[in-house]
Amino acid sequence: MDFDFGSLLAFIIFGVTIGVVYGIVALGISLIYSGLDIVHFAHGEIYMFGAFLGLVLSQQIGIPYPGAMIGAMVLAALLGMFIERVFYRRLTRSGGGYTVAGMGMIICGFGMSVALMNVAFLIWGADAEPFPVEFGIEPLEINDISIPPSYLLTAVVSLCLMGILNYFLRYTKIGLAVRAVAHNKDIAFLMGINVPLFISLIFGLACALAAAAGVLVGPMQSVQVEMGYLMLMKAFAAAVVGGFGSLPGALIGGILVGIFENLGAAYISASHKDIYAFLLLILVLMYRPAGLFGVVAKVKA
Amino acid sequence: MRNWTKFLAGLAAGGFVLSATAALADEIRVGITMRMVSENGQKYGQMVMDEIGLINEAGGINGHQIKATLMNDECKSDKGVANANKLIFQEKVHLLIGSTCSSVSLPIVDVTAKAQVPQIIPHSTNAQITQKGSAWVFRVPVSGRFYAGVNAKYVGENIGKKIAYICAADAASQNDCDAMQAQMKSQHGTDPAYVAQVQEKEVDFRTHMQKIKSAGVDGIMVAALAETMSRALIQSYEAGIGSDVRRIGSSSASNAPVPKISGDAVKGVFYAAAYSNADTRPIAKLFNQMVKDRYGIHAPDHDFSQAYDLIRIVEIALNNSDLKLTNSSLAADRTAIRDAIANVKNYQGLASGPISFCADATPQCRDGNKTPVLIAYKKGGEEFETEVLARVSMPEDFGL
Repeated sequence: MDFDFGSLLAFIIFGVTIGVVYGIVALGISLIYSGLDIVHFAHGEIYMFGAFLGLVLSQQIGIPYPGAMIGAMVLAALLGMFIERVFYRRLTRSGGGYTVAGMGMIICGFGMSVALMNVAFLIWGADAEPFPVEFGIEPLEINDISIPPSYLLTAVVSLCLMGILNYFLRYTKIGLAVRAVAHNKDIAFLMGINVPLFISLIFGLACALAAAAGVLVGPMQSVQVEMGYLMLMKAFAAAVVGGFGSLPGALIGGILVGIFENLGAAYISASHKDIYAFLLLILVLMYRPAGLFGVVAKVKA
Repeated sequence: MRNWTKFLAGLAAGGFVLSATAALADEIRVGITMRMVSENGQKYGQMVMDEIGLINEAGGINGHQIKATLMNDECKSDKGVANANKLIFQEKVHLLIGSTCSSVSLPIVDVTAKAQVPQIIPHSTNAQITQKGSAWVFRVPVSGRFYAGVNAKYVGENIGKKIAYICAADAASQNDCDAMQAQMKSQHGTDPAYVAQVQEKEVDFRTHMQKIKSAGVDGIMVAALAETMSRALIQSYEAGIGSDVRRIGSSSASNAPVPKISGDAVKGVFYAAAYSNADTRPIAKLFNQMVKDRYGIHAPDHDFSQAYDLIRIVEIALNNSDLKLTNSSLAADRTAIRDAIANVKNYQGLASGPISFCADATPQCRDGNKTPVLIAYKKGGEEFETEVLARVSMPEDFGL
């Protein structure tokens, strides 16, 4: 294919639009990692559940798309808090991260992933479901590039969500408490913070972000029970590239992964598009093991 | 007295075992492995079981009941092979039906050839299935080689010769894509304007669509399974490729999820298949109504019709087989069923053309239906509509 800047620009724009979605799912993974010291392997399924909840609220109940997204976020947050309270808390009490209980959490996460997928299968079946949304605006035309409203909306909403989250964590008292819990649970507890409650809040927040990503992607790619796995992998890549636990890193990592895989698919080969995200991950791990914005992890006692 | 009790109990137990063995020996055992992960996939399997149940209710085959065992292979070749092995060696089936996906049917052909069990294929279109030279395999659907011939002729004469291809990694789509490119070359002397090999469940086609848009093609062939095809069709419009660029589907465009997921993006898409619900024959109208009443399907796709035709062909073949149905006659019964299927000639059912088999282990003999029908979508969504563009009978050695 002949090289031209119009196409290059298009591929970068496409990369950014999907990259910000990877970014918000990665943000959730980073939040949970910061708060609970665990990697949540069922986060892809929360993303899938969010997409289905948005679909039900929008297409079956008839709530307008923005309302359906908020509804799906709230329901996913409640689901996440329920999962954390009922299944994970017992394990996290014994410690996370590199402890034996931490390993139990990882296995529990895998189990939760399979369980959620099967629950979704029982409720919605295996067929892909269309998620048509009428945005009421024309595609943005830049030279020969046509950017559909769903892509624009995805980028704008994702960036807004990240901005709101940033404001919440930096400038509100609850956000400060969340950061305190993420930094050191024992000291936070001594400062009078209800640590278990805030861990639930962190979990719910992360699940709400995943649900938002699912509702954003639904109109572009349809909604299916198996949609979570690949998103989880890409979001992990984004989180690692950006630096596990770093919130700005998750966003930048997501965008980099999105651009890298789109350019790879465009100029190298599209047959194995998913490889590029992991190639980037390997390169970053080789030269910056803590990720672009991460700090070198301290080994826990 | 105690000895008498023991004797009677032993007699009863022995009688039970003997009667159970006799029942097992007296029935025709049919194993079925299909992809049943989607809603329609489950209904294809259900239809096969229901039709066998109706045969049994009507008295069975020459007084013998059919015992059918239905298994789900999830369109995964390892599961399909495991199912085939279980059905053949544990269930000791006389006949194997399966599978839906070409990537599953292909390795099963080797299993049935080695075990010498007749295999009849309900849905798989990959041309290589019958080119393996197995004397035990029969295909009810139209082979991909015929589909490609019809598509290429129509495209070259009515649409243009600058065609882009999006080819998913599953066996059927790969075969459809390769065969179409080969036919475009041989019939019209043209090479592809653009070819993208994508993953089986690819979700993002935007990069390809941007390139295809820049290439200024006459048509885009999307060869992929239903959900992947739908995403590609939608994203082709989102990329700004107008409806003047015709979209060509592989045979899976016939599956109901395509118009359901694609919505308006499916309008104008054409494809070759083995059956159209727009068929005006009385038998087709009755079938459409039956599927609607029984399974709640708006309009059956060709996988429904092929499953139905397959059971009718199996019924004919079993009725014409001289089966002993004893434990020692298993191999002879399997051979008898194979020979009876090979003797099915000119079966006129729902399929677009007559289905005939013969004894040679060649694609000419074992690709039963040689008449693809060219269909276009007039309307998408759950209440989709199609129209028949053409029906073409192909020479038996076409594409070989």
